[in-house]
Amino acid sequence: MSNYFNAPLTRRQCLGLLAKAGSSSAVLGAAGIFGLTNTPVSASPVTLKPLQGKNRKVLILGAGISGLTAAYELERAGYSCKILEASHRIGGRVLTLRHGDFIDELGTPQICPFDDAPNLYFNAGAARIPAHHTGILHYCRTLGVELQLFSNHNKNCYTQDDAAFNGQPVRIREYEADMRGFIGELLAKSATAGSTLDQPFDEQDLDKFIQFAQAYGDLDSNFTYRGTERAGYAAGGVTSPAILKQPRPLPDLLRSDFCTGAMHFAEIADQAPALMTPSGGMDSIVKAFLRQLTTPIQLHCQVSNIQLQPQGVAVTYLKHGESYTEKADYCLNCIPAQLVSGIENNLPTDYVAIMRQLGRGKLTKIGLQAKQRFWEQEDIYSGISWTKQDITQIWYPHHDAFKAKGILLGAYSWEPQISDRFAAMTHQQRLATAIAQGAKVHANYAQHIENGVSVCWQRMNHMLGCGAVWTEELQKTGFKLLQAPAGNHYLIGDQLSLHPGWQEGAVRSAWHALADIARREALRSTGARA
Amino acid sequence: MNKIWLLFMLLSSAALADSKQPDAQYCLVCHGSAAQGNAAIKAPNLSILPDWYLRQQFIAFRNNWRGSAADDAHGKEMQAVANSMTDAEIEQAIAFIRRQAPVKLSASLSDQADLQQGQKLYQQCQTCHGANGEGNVQLNAPPLAGQHNWYLVQQLSAFKNGWRGNQSDDSYGQIMRQFAQSLPNEQAIADVVAYIDSLPPTQPLVRTTP
Repeated sequence: MSNYFNAPLTRRQCLGLLAKAGSSSAVLGAAGIFGLTNTPVSASPVTLKPLQGKNRKVLILGAGISGLTAAYELERAGYSCKILEASHRIGGRVLTLRHGDFIDELGTPQICPFDDAPNLYFNAGAARIPAHHTGILHYCRTLGVELQLFSNHNKNCYTQDDAAFNGQPVRIREYEADMRGFIGELLAKSATAGSTLDQPFDEQDLDKFIQFAQAYGDLDSNFTYRGTERAGYAAGGVTSPAILKQPRPLPDLLRSDFCTGAMHFAEIADQAPALMTPSGGMDSIVKAFLRQLTTPIQLHCQVSNIQLQPQGVAVTYLKHGESYTEKADYCLNCIPAQLVSGIENNLPTDYVAIMRQLGRGKLTKIGLQAKQRFWEQEDIYSGISWTKQDITQIWYPHHDAFKAKGILLGAYSWEPQISDRFAAMTHQQRLATAIAQGAKVHANYAQHIENGVSVCWQRMNHMLGCGAVWTEELQKTGFKLLQAPAGNHYLIGDQLSLHPGWQEGAVRSAWHALADIARREALRSTGARA
Repeated sequence: MNKIWLLFMLLSSAALADSKQPDAQYCLVCHGSAAQGNAAIKAPNLSILPDWYLRQQFIAFRNNWRGSAADDAHGKEMQAVANSMTDAEIEQAIAFIRRQAPVKLSASLSDQADLQQGQKLYQQCQTCHGANGEGNVQLNAPPLAGQHNWYLVQQLSAFKNGWRGNQSDDSYGQIMRQFAQSLPNEQAIADVVAYIDSLPPTQPLVRTTP
């Protein structure tokens, strides 16, 4: 598998898994996410009946998106909530780093060294929102979170691969134009030679198909690719005649792995344009929740025991070395499963056994402060450059063009081996590596970079992973079990979704638990056993 | 690399010194809420380990005796933490772990293991680690009874493949490595660990955990 990205599940595979794992309504909801049905995704997602004077206490473990979502919905329905958060901050893996922020990575603690300026921030965790993530967008809309467009795909960015073009970076515009040109030529020529698909295909269809191939590759009238303005001009084109760039030979293009990997990144359903992101940083969503919430959030509360009781759940936690126990009717547990398995508990054995088998998502992001926005001199505003080196990606800010400085993403890999290599380095070594590798994409890269942050999510305190890693087998045998409540305890978070690592997964797993609580409360009010 | 860059590196090292949150609760994030270990993190049970052994392992991580192999991701995790701690913090952490009462672990015997064969193999271990796996401070041998079986397997493999005991100045590790290398295969490791797993606890257990 290429180091660019893991092969994503197709939406049919994904729905198949969901159908095996969840109720039909979960499948329906997910079909809505992927746009496969005409069922509109409900605008009012959670229908928690107001308690009307009844007293229900809910303990929420973790102040990330799933915990905040649950608290927001529950308190509106009259539930009395409290959030216990183990770390020093609210937001979980929605982590926007700015001047002076503490980065609590085990063994590699840092203080964010960026200058103190509104445009100098780095989304070290969640960074983008596709339009079909209607759950998190529901809260952006209703809580007043301003959004900007975010771009994964910018034709002016580069692709760099040591195996191709002497290791020189090539504009994605040029690479894609040439690749499409040759594909178009092959298509058109094989179609005119009479090779067609094993399905009804008449003369008219064939003619249209050849026109498509011609348009796809920007071919001449002989169905030959001879370069295109899509690759940009070698010279001229405005006040003097345009000179086309010479196409690169197909074998040269094929030496680069770009065509088998990252070139198609923005085709992935969750990564395709148009994407969005909150103005000023992803934590605008967290701040928006906090503007509304009255639920108390206690920081530095590290859970040490979870006990199911006949009528509820008792949670013991350590705060500054002291132990406290609280009881509640329900417990919504957003703690990463790999950590829950180390917390004393009386949860069912099969439940804990699945948690032990979940993998820890290994993912590293590096943010770099540049003293000049040198990328703008290269006609780059937003988007991603790709390289076969460990840094894998360089992101350019989508915001604040022409300001004095900017924050680049200098490395982002979710390939476990790569993230292990970054984790094994000191912070200084990580930055030096990011700069040395970035210099293959931008000459003089080092002279522009002033400082940086590095975040290895598998090492972040109180998380030790980014997104639970479910094997296909474990998903079949364990997902439904872990998604169901154990007594009055619900494990939630993006880990209990088929979208681990996405805020959408966190929101929808919270909704899933809340729907079950609503059902049980309705039963309770009729006197039946919930 | 230019001078400004080097200056930044020095300044950021200074910032690091101020950025730590000295808090022994840190240990429990990986090692479990009662320091009983966590299979999901591959973090061992610390509650059964005596102070001298905990201290020695901090030294081992700092000296690169543990965590040096490129693909030993778990060893490297602990090594990074050990390297970021001062001597005083290490003593605080050990004192904190000491306050955690040893907990009984669920027995997790592998049904593929041969206990009798394991007992035979254990004879060479008991000289140092004791007949009941209680450990021996004079010989720098840690207690084994009460440790997670998956952790013992992992460490025997680590000694065998050279992740541990492969450094010229790590004399205790080198001794252990020789014994680990005398175990011919994974089955032998499973057998001897199954036997250790069957030993009764050597310390009073206050609580149980599933």
